[in-house]
Amino acid sequence: MDKLEFYQRLAEILDVEEVKPESVLKEFDVWDSLAILSVLAMTDAKYGVSVKAEEIRSVVTAEDLARLVETKQK
Amino acid sequence: MKCIFKNKRISSIVAVAPSQEFRFDDEYQYFKMTEPQAKRFKKIMGLDRHRIAPPDVCASDLCLYGVQQLLDAGVLKKEEISAVLFISQTPDYILPPTSNVIHGKLGLGHDVICLDINQGCAGYLAGLQLAFMLLELPAVSKVLLLTGDTGSKQMTRENRINYPINGDAGAATVVERSADEKTIFMDVKNDGSRYKALIIPGGAYRMPSSPETLKLREVEEGVVKCLEHVDMDGAAVFNFTMDDIPPQIEAVLAYSGETRDSIAHFFLHQPNPFIVTQMTQKMKIPPAKVPNNVVSLYGNCSSTTIPLNIALNCREPMLAETRRVCLSGFGVGLTWISAVMDLGPLDFCKIVDYKPA
Amino acid sequence: MNFTFRRKRISGVLVVLPENERSFIEDMKNFNFPEARSLKLKEVMGFDKRRVVEPGVCVSDLAVFGLQHLFEQDLLKREEIDALLLVTQTADHFMPATSSLIQGRLGLKHDMLCLDINQACAGFVIGLIQAFMLLEQESVNKVVLVNADVLSRKASPKDRNIYPLIGDGAAITIIERDHEDTMIHASVKMDGSRAEALMIPAGGLRMPSTPETALLEDVGDNNLRAKDHVFMDGSAIFNFVQTEVPPLIEKLLARAGVSSAEVDYYLCHQPNRFMLEKLADKMKVPYARMPNNVVEHFGNNGSVTIPTVMAYNLRERLQREQLQVCLAAFGGGLAWSAMLLKLGKLAFNKIIEYN
Repeated sequence: MDKLEFYQRLAEILDVEEVKPESVLKEFDVWDSLAILSVLAMTDAKYGVSVKAEEIRSVVTAEDLARLVETKQK
Repeated sequence: MKCIFKNKRISSIVAVAPSQEFRFDDEYQYFKMTEPQAKRFKKIMGLDRHRIAPPDVCASDLCLYGVQQLLDAGVLKKEEISAVLFISQTPDYILPPTSNVIHGKLGLGHDVICLDINQGCAGYLAGLQLAFMLLELPAVSKVLLLTGDTGSKQMTRENRINYPINGDAGAATVVERSADEKTIFMDVKNDGSRYKALIIPGGAYRMPSSPETLKLREVEEGVVKCLEHVDMDGAAVFNFTMDDIPPQIEAVLAYSGETRDSIAHFFLHQPNPFIVTQMTQKMKIPPAKVPNNVVSLYGNCSSTTIPLNIALNCREPMLAETRRVCLSGFGVGLTWISAVMDLGPLDFCKIVDYKPA
Repeated sequence: MNFTFRRKRISGVLVVLPENERSFIEDMKNFNFPEARSLKLKEVMGFDKRRVVEPGVCVSDLAVFGLQHLFEQDLLKREEIDALLLVTQTADHFMPATSSLIQGRLGLKHDMLCLDINQACAGFVIGLIQAFMLLEQESVNKVVLVNADVLSRKASPKDRNIYPLIGDGAAITIIERDHEDTMIHASVKMDGSRAEALMIPAGGLRMPSTPETALLEDVGDNNLRAKDHVFMDGSAIFNFVQTEVPPLIEKLLARAGVSSAEVDYYLCHQPNRFMLEKLADKMKVPYARMPNNVVEHFGNNGSVTIPTVMAYNLRERLQREQLQVCLAAFGGGLAWSAMLLKLGKLAFNKIIEYN
């Protein structure tokens, strides 16, 4: 998985310039239920994986999320 | 659970919306949203306006108004009604059944069966299934399928998650026998283990009404609710719509021997435009076949979304000809039901505003 | 409205009653009536003991308990359940449907129908009709019909018309196809213009529950009741039963070509013993063939009374032999219904206690 592309997509959803691997998702201004839905849609549409509601609530950083998606892809 | 029905048809549809329309742009002040937040929300979700019933108007009032339209138009006679099905999660009373109250208000004869079914967004399909089964019985000539909800009464306006998307509405559908043998295929699924995704915790017997259950709290930014209000896990609902509905639609297409090409329209329940867009893309169905404008004009009207969708987007063709369609209702339960059937030509197909004399 | 069904049978009946028992003598202390008058009522109506749930116990609890018992006793297999019908007026929540909750708690398969039907005392016959209709579908082989109510929680302790007779409980009835060409005749009638004879004014959307609707009001007949409480117009219901039920049954028997003498038992909904004695008198049926003892032992548990009559009065007989029975279910709605069928041999027919 191209992690840079993944972080770029996250940045678009979160309406910021850049998302770093260590960025804590909850700390983004825009990390609300709408952002969560957009992320779930993006991981399904672009990566073909279904991230569950409980899973997205338990990841902390952007890198955690990227790893989760990568694992699901396998 | 797979079902097959033959020789049945929907003959009339009337959807009734409260005449009070409210725009998102005027309401976002109640959601504690800044203007940029509101803009983003409106854009991503695809919202614009919705209809909200006044405090003294119940779902059954909307449905009854619809029935009157059908009676006035001459497409239905009182004596023809063999069954009254009321599908709702916002009944007038917990006892007696609202379908009986409607029976009384219409002054129908005694030889009528009345049933209240507790169903939400899968309700139109659940009602159709029951109507088709009733029509197997020789004594039943026409079934009056009523769907209706005033979800606005199960939330506060100060709830950015549920309120802007909710629409109140009712519909009356007439289901009867048909000479045409074309088969109706249906698939029914349930998963009660995910019941927490859409629930009203208090107000019924698990958690009876009390000052405590009526106490309003701001549970998160811009969401004020009490225990007698709807609780929705948006992410879990999203997972459900993306994981469970597409396979069922595939299954019912295969079961019926139809394809994306042979189906003229996919009338899906619309939780919100964002979800319908994602589903359409995932299932690779041409968007032109999947109308997605009910929520932005009327709101998510629960089980009435599908009949309203048909009347809003397909009125002329439905009055004129027969089309092979796929209907899919899904939501609270969790329950998901999809069907392939012929629809049209209808004797009546209209949306009206609720304007009691 | 008349129905005929073929090749369907009831194969088992399980009734779940709360362990907790109340007596009329205890309840009497809350009434605004002199003791002597209350005792007279007890004698005439046939009130004595009834079973009520502990606070917090809901319909899904009773249903899950009963179904688990059937699974443990190997009387039913999870995978066999193609449809779960729940007939209740006392659902756990406004949403989701309680049948979905039961399905979830028991881990039943997804490929099934779950349906909540709001029906009152006519609910056993209505539920059976629903089950028979479902069994017309090839994919449906076994239907579980649950009738359940916890209405005691909505009865005012100071309402002598209602409080001493309401009982709680659940019944689980298994319905499947019959290889024999058995015929079942049924008849249903409804009259919504008289709906207010049996109702709970508040708690729905017409009049939501508030602290005000919980307040006891003097309703003018020495009884106190809140808008949240169930109200029953006793004399209207009595007249209704006496007027409507006998002709319904008569026409049903005539249609089926069966005489009253050929009916082994009339298994009627049990509003109270008095009403059933009067009904039996009107229909010229001996009391022995129209059992009327459910209310005095268990209370009027709504649509559960008919299965309770079966499991309490005919426990052995229905497991050993086949009987021709006429069911009659009537009450809230107003609704009245009857069904003539051959019943038995049942694989199980019993009462268990919920604790």
